[in-house]
Amino acid sequence: MSEAVIELDHVSASEGILEHVEDFSLTVHRGEAVALVGSNRSGKGLALKLCAGLGEPSAGSVRVLGVDPVSASAEAVLQLRRRVGVVFAKPALVSNMSVYDNVALPLRYHAALTEAALHGRVMACLAECGVDLFHDHFPGGLAMGDARLAALARALVVEPDILIVDEVLFGLDADELIRFRGLLGKYRREKGLTIVVSINAPTALFTLMDRLALMRDGRLVALCPPAEAARVDDPMVRDFFGNN
Amino acid sequence: MIAWTGKKTVEGVTYAADILFLSYLAFKELLSPARRGRHEALRGIARQILFTGVDALPIVAAIALMLGLIVIIQAGIALPQVGAGAFLANIVVVALVRELGPLLTAFIVVGRSGTAMCTELGNMKVGQEVAALEAMGISVVRFLVMPRMVGAIVAITCLTVFFDLVAVIGGFLVAKVTLTIPFLVYLGEIEQALSIADVVITVVKSALFGLTIAVICCHHGLAVVGSSTEVPQQNSRAMLNTVAACLVVDIIVSVGFYV
Repeated sequence: MSEAVIELDHVSASEGILEHVEDFSLTVHRGEAVALVGSNRSGKGLALKLCAGLGEPSAGSVRVLGVDPVSASAEAVLQLRRRVGVVFAKPALVSNMSVYDNVALPLRYHAALTEAALHGRVMACLAECGVDLFHDHFPGGLAMGDARLAALARALVVEPDILIVDEVLFGLDADELIRFRGLLGKYRREKGLTIVVSINAPTALFTLMDRLALMRDGRLVALCPPAEAARVDDPMVRDFFGNN
Repeated sequence: MIAWTGKKTVEGVTYAADILFLSYLAFKELLSPARRGRHEALRGIARQILFTGVDALPIVAAIALMLGLIVIIQAGIALPQVGAGAFLANIVVVALVRELGPLLTAFIVVGRSGTAMCTELGNMKVGQEVAALEAMGISVVRFLVMPRMVGAIVAITCLTVFFDLVAVIGGFLVAKVTLTIPFLVYLGEIEQALSIADVVITVVKSALFGLTIAVICCHHGLAVVGSSTEVPQQNSRAMLNTVAACLVVDIIVSVGFYV
């Protein structure tokens, strides 16, 4: 078994009055792909944030790439942020910057590249994600799927160790979903990228995953390979997979 | 009543501490030797100077001209009636250069740029753009607050000098229709009435106004939690608090230097 890159140990946390996780434990190993699966308000969004080292648990411990983001120094947390790419449910591209500048932004902050090298890397990443045609557009003018692909390009351009994608299906049409899936598969295969996503509906993307973490009311119901998920004896899971 | 007073006092002190702390963080980022992101910060500063300073020139010129005209005509008519016609330049310097110029320029900037800063950052919070910056390990203070603060300080200082020039010279040229005092005599009197200290204090005051406006408006923009309905609420709070804070700063500087 390869090294554990995300370790959530009996974590409890809450965000607002609707989102919470209770006694949640999950270990993700390097190169693995895990999907947090559940309906809205099942706590998967918050669990995903904790996996990215962004949330603060009220109980339990979180370690991402060996770093406890709560107690680590500011420098250690900064180093951690550089190694974890996050794609939010909303594209979250900086609205007053072009798509190109958005994707170049993390490189300008975290990599010592010349402008020519940066340009090459950004355009290659945009082309890979299929949004190079929009490089000089502003985010407000993009369709949701294109904006999410641009956000994926921004997360991948720094070549992170872990990729976190919230609500992976949100705003993507069939072609974009295929592209999204292809990209995740390619980066995982070629670069050993660890992937953690949240999903709120059954999808062909499950085939890319090693394990599904099925969640209900902030708790982990089952953690199993996708092929076994539909057989889990739980009302939420039966509803989710349409087995009722 | 006592509990309410205590609660409001604590809230006020906490608010002031938050604003001062954000100012400290912004200055720390400004003086930080880190080279990363300098390009983006400089671009943010240039954009802020363009929007707050250059784009505001026409409206500032119009208001300065009208205010200068009003003050000079009123003083030019009223002062000779009480045998104080020789003090026109002194009144212009005290009223326009020392007080109204910096203060009105600050109010114009609050209305134009302060609200824009607050709204922009509030919408960025709602759109998870701020969360995305944090997730990328990009300092929100370095990327969003510091450039706006520096840009506002530079822009408002230049705008105030511009306002004073237009009000004092342009206002007089327009008021000349009703006044008999020759232009060169007027300019000579202004030169005598205006000291280097007046210019320095006006510049210091303007810089402090720029700092106050940018930091308070950014603070309120970043205080939006997650709903777009919070943006106008924070915006109106930012407007009121910034105007009040500018007046407090004005009193402190005026009392500190002139009393």
